[in-house]
Amino acid sequence: MAKSMLIISRQAPWAGPAAREALDIALAGGAYDLPLAMLFLDDGVYQLLDTQAPAALQQKNLAANLQALPLFGVEEVFVCSASLAQRGLASSGLALPAQALADAQLRELLARFDLVVTL
Amino acid sequence: MKFAIAVYSPAHSPASRRALLFAQAVLAQGHQLLRVFFYQDGVHTASSNIVTAQDETDTASQWRAFVVEHQIDAVVCIAAALRRGVLDEEEARRYQRTAANLSQPWQLSGLGQLHEAAQQADRLVSFGGH
Amino acid sequence: MSTLHVLSHSPFSDQRLHSCLRLLGDDDAILLSGDAVYALAPGSEPWAALASAGVAVFALAEDAQARALPNNPGVELLDYPAFVELTLAYEKVNSWL
Repeated sequence: MAKSMLIISRQAPWAGPAAREALDIALAGGAYDLPLAMLFLDDGVYQLLDTQAPAALQQKNLAANLQALPLFGVEEVFVCSASLAQRGLASSGLALPAQALADAQLRELLARFDLVVTL
Repeated sequence: MKFAIAVYSPAHSPASRRALLFAQAVLAQGHQLLRVFFYQDGVHTASSNIVTAQDETDTASQWRAFVVEHQIDAVVCIAAALRRGVLDEEEARRYQRTAANLSQPWQLSGLGQLHEAAQQADRLVSFGGH
Repeated sequence: MSTLHVLSHSPFSDQRLHSCLRLLGDDDAILLSGDAVYALAPGSEPWAALASAGVAVFALAEDAQARALPNNPGVELLDYPAFVELTLAYEKVNSWL
């Protein structure tokens, strides 16, 4: 039976390649049908905003890559409620359907995976 | 027990040195090291162009020596490597770049190798950041 | 499933320790390495937070020694063989990269 992996993405979308490279781990695992989930935490929650215009920075819009997650079988996408609140962001209107979790729920989430990678 | 190690920061970072010491201890304790996977800035570890000052620790050379001595499966993520200018002969030819700076014992491959190692090992231990 | 959290950033310049403490399970443990050992500074806010987290706290001996941090009775200092064995005492290892 395949081991499940939770990928925690903590970097803002244009703080270098980290956000893209965390997502690539998820997409690669999805391509191999591995049981994966992603959690956006701390500045990582900024990756989920759909009102962004990265072209102004000559950067790629990660939204297209994020939207590929369910296509690659990564359907469990979570976002930290506290991280959103801290940044004055709502849990609705995000670029991709993500379940907002409170800290107690995040603890339970971490506990149920075989592997965790925090980028 | 079987270990897989992932290295996300370059050879001059303290994290890389810790990863190497951990890898050495894994073998010294009689455990197996299935693979060391280099991702993000960790791909620079495989560059043959690193020149370390005489009064500094040459962790990149130490990694190379460790990989060779113990015949470790040392995989460097190709996408991360290309982005950072770490290319083998094949990629240098493919992209018409003037120099290749990655060769044996390092191998370029995809993230699938990280997942495979994570699936097969008893523990995946990652090193990076600082 | 229990997790060994590995930290390597200074708690004074970085949010990783704070986030780790929010996600910490009852059976988890924390290993401080690199600049994260600055969290051992007695009387500091990070130390207070760690001490009240209710989990086992470990640190890499070489990092505590290099920074001349005072010995903290609640924290076991580890060499690399002990670090390897510690990763086997918890079901998974989560490094805050």
